[in-house]
Amino acid sequence: MNQLNDVQRISMGGKKTIHVRVNGKIIEKEVPIRMLLVDFLREELGLTGTHVGCSVEGRCGACTIALNGENVKSCLQLAVQADGTNIMTVEGLGTVESLHPIQEGFWEKHGLQCGFCTPGMMISAYNLLKVNPHPSTDEIREALVGNLCRCTGYEHIIEAVKYAADTLASMSKEERDKLLTY
Amino acid sequence: MTTVTETKWVGRSIRRREDPRLLVGQGTYIADLTLPGTTYVQLVRSPHAHARIRHIDISKAQNHPGVVAVLTGQEIAAAMQPILVPAMRPNLGGDLQVPTVYPLAIDKVNWVGEPIVAIVAESKYVAEDASQLVEIEYEALTALVNPEEAMKPDAPKIYEDWKSNVLWHGQLANGDVEKAFREADYILSERFYGHRTGAAPMETRGMVASYDNFTGLTLHINSQRPHILRMAISKIMRISHDKVRVIAPKDVGGAFGTKAPVYREEFIVSYLAMKLKRPVKWIENRMESLMTIGQERDQIHNLEIAVRKDGKILGVKDRMIADSGDGSNGVYMGFVMPWLGAAYLTNAYDIPNVHIDLSCVVTNKPCLSPGRAFGEFPARFAMDYAMHLVARELNLDPRDVFQKNIIKKFPYVTATGVTHDSGDYEGAFRALIEAIDYDRVKEEQKEARKNGRLIGIGFAMGAEMSGIGSQFFVPMENQPGYGSATVKVDTYGMIQVFEGDSPQGQGHETTIGQAVADELGVSIEDIYISYGDTFTTPFASGTLGNRGASYTVSAAVLACRKLRRKMQKIAAHILGLPLETEDFVFTNREVIWEQDETKRVSLLEIADVAILAPTKLPPGMEAGLEATSYFEADIASMLSIGAHAAVVEVNPETGAFKILRYVIVDDCGVPINPMLVRGQVHGGAVMGLGNALFEKYAFDEAGQPLSTTLMEYHMPSAADVPPIEMIEFNVPTPYTPLGTKGKGEGIPAPVPATLASAITDALDCPGFKILNLPITPESIWRILKELKQ
Repeated sequence: MNQLNDVQRISMGGKKTIHVRVNGKIIEKEVPIRMLLVDFLREELGLTGTHVGCSVEGRCGACTIALNGENVKSCLQLAVQADGTNIMTVEGLGTVESLHPIQEGFWEKHGLQCGFCTPGMMISAYNLLKVNPHPSTDEIREALVGNLCRCTGYEHIIEAVKYAADTLASMSKEERDKLLTY
Repeated sequence: MTTVTETKWVGRSIRRREDPRLLVGQGTYIADLTLPGTTYVQLVRSPHAHARIRHIDISKAQNHPGVVAVLTGQEIAAAMQPILVPAMRPNLGGDLQVPTVYPLAIDKVNWVGEPIVAIVAESKYVAEDASQLVEIEYEALTALVNPEEAMKPDAPKIYEDWKSNVLWHGQLANGDVEKAFREADYILSERFYGHRTGAAPMETRGMVASYDNFTGLTLHINSQRPHILRMAISKIMRISHDKVRVIAPKDVGGAFGTKAPVYREEFIVSYLAMKLKRPVKWIENRMESLMTIGQERDQIHNLEIAVRKDGKILGVKDRMIADSGDGSNGVYMGFVMPWLGAAYLTNAYDIPNVHIDLSCVVTNKPCLSPGRAFGEFPARFAMDYAMHLVARELNLDPRDVFQKNIIKKFPYVTATGVTHDSGDYEGAFRALIEAIDYDRVKEEQKEARKNGRLIGIGFAMGAEMSGIGSQFFVPMENQPGYGSATVKVDTYGMIQVFEGDSPQGQGHETTIGQAVADELGVSIEDIYISYGDTFTTPFASGTLGNRGASYTVSAAVLACRKLRRKMQKIAAHILGLPLETEDFVFTNREVIWEQDETKRVSLLEIADVAILAPTKLPPGMEAGLEATSYFEADIASMLSIGAHAAVVEVNPETGAFKILRYVIVDDCGVPINPMLVRGQVHGGAVMGLGNALFEKYAFDEAGQPLSTTLMEYHMPSAADVPPIEMIEFNVPTPYTPLGTKGKGEGIPAPVPATLASAITDALDCPGFKILNLPITPESIWRILKELKQ
């Protein structure tokens, strides 16, 4: 551990300007080339809803964001890699005044306790419901394998995702598409 | 069984009040806090499990651009007392040896991950860079990784000034055990091992300290017990108590016991903030976390059970050995958990004759720290699974063995001194058997066997602590057991509640709000809750051990009742009634006289009189509307019961097994919010499943940890676990004002015996026993293979 005896050039200098669209807003910012995407979101943009729960190993899923339509673990990418992409974080999902059906589901069904994994969990649910509007329990469990939760035992999270699926299904196609686009 | 219908808020599954901010990403966790001028700490940790430090060279790190300071063990040791001052040591009798622990290692390291040097830099990236530049020369020593070896008289000693490696040794005993064993028809004698596993919350530890000469030290930390930590910092760092303020953030990402001890990092970060006069931030990374905290269980039970041929247990002997790691954590020292495991060994059973000999041994591993089910996980595995083995040995129905031994009269004091306050354990057990449809599963088992399928059913119980009263808590941890709360009516007639415990996801804002809303006849929207700040909240021992619904909620209720007495006097005065008038109801933000409902005063008016227009108060009455209460139950301790059952199918060729059903019958007294109780039960069960099946803090023979990522320390994902069915079986306790009990702590504990007994029943193979955790397909396959040979 930490025993890289011959590390001489560890100052990873260099900066680069990147352009990203985050929660609908175009952002242009100069970042150190070694800055992690999650640090960019949290520290440069102040979007602290995206969390870090593991040592940049990508297992916990608390840093999951939606990037160009995919689930991405933002601790496993550099900010410069995200140049030119379209990102949605939990802050882009809904507001307190107008919660997204997924957020409503988590609230209604007690899908969160400490809330630390919740943003990443909801983003994974979002990308699931986008491609599978009526997931079965097993499909929900499978879609959430990349997101660990230590509080809920997943039972209420599954109910929350079903609730969201039902809510979305009861909406017009136009409304639904709007809620599943960023 | 009781359901609460007479009250308005308590008993309702309302949505949580804390959720909206968490759902939109506006929670405020410790990592989200950065103060102007913040510096960042990276710790250099030991790569050796046991070694002497020959030389430390920090010059390259110091000269690295962006580094603000480099701190060594010598410097910090000179500035404070060793951490384990008397207030940090449990007083449980027995023989205790106390290690001398400073925040950073000085000349010796005792486990992989022990902090040695702290780097402070302008950014966390630079701090991490510079940490690679610290050069340390070690002389490796033989690592002690096995407690049974380490406790031998000729073993090399980890602490050279000790007489042995035994950190704590003592007995818990009562009754005539020898007589019980003489009179027994059968004695079961087995060695059970519950491996090192525990809780790993999704949020690691973290803290931000700041200091100025006027207000002193402010430490923001995701601690379960800010008041205790404040006391510890003041004592150990010799800072006047008024100059230490500990603040737990509004939101904490789970704790499960891991954030309860006093660790070393809080002193490192506090010291650096004082030295540098700049904010200092440290966020534990996952690897550090898995090397340092949340390692619990790790108990060997050499258990003997003396049984009559009808299954009645006459006595129990247990020679327990716990692997305490280095024993260095403040408050628990790595032995309070196994001690409580011993105290709770006899679980929900009436066993009058007990002798437990417990040795807690230091090894070159991180100190045991609390994890949900506090010490009980291996103990429940040993005891409850042993009862199944007894039933098999004596050809009895395991149901009868359990039923015969379950505690039936309350209050009940165990031979180890634990008071069970109330409940209906037998009823809960019967409800479980009914819910799992025991007889039908047994029929199906026979049918399935004909088709070559091996199905089995198993069960276990868990009597879990529901807070711990001062009688028990003061000797255990030098801390009071009471719950405390201050309730204030503000100038607008809204209610502010202050609690000294700060939660980590339990939902206190909701549950305390529900209880207070009923007491004062207001809506939950009229209530706001403050917690976490030791400068504004009443002293309390922290959120742990199921204290919330049992003790803290009760304190809030009592504070409301104090306030009501004053409020109805004011109401009587406003209405022109005699001040002694008693029969008022508090409802809908009004205080109404029952004799004549037209006589009513709004809460707002009472608040206005009491706070803004004290001239209108009854003559001589003090202004203001606030009250603080400290709740202590009128009994030594309260417990609540949970009973688990599982149906499994096992493949005898591979050892693979599948959980077909998992059912829990649960008692929490009066549930304040049944939906939240279900959440606790689901989460506890899945943590128990993870601990029993997948999770293991593994070490090699040199003491190197082999599970330092979440890939290796496999916590269950949604696809790894079965649905958990939960059935409420609530018996209100007469010892709290609302009949509430705590829930959450003990739920993982019955899981391993439940699964082990179900698998044993499925295989129904003479001699088959699961004596070691975790239970994996490989372990089952090996047991079967050995039996065949």
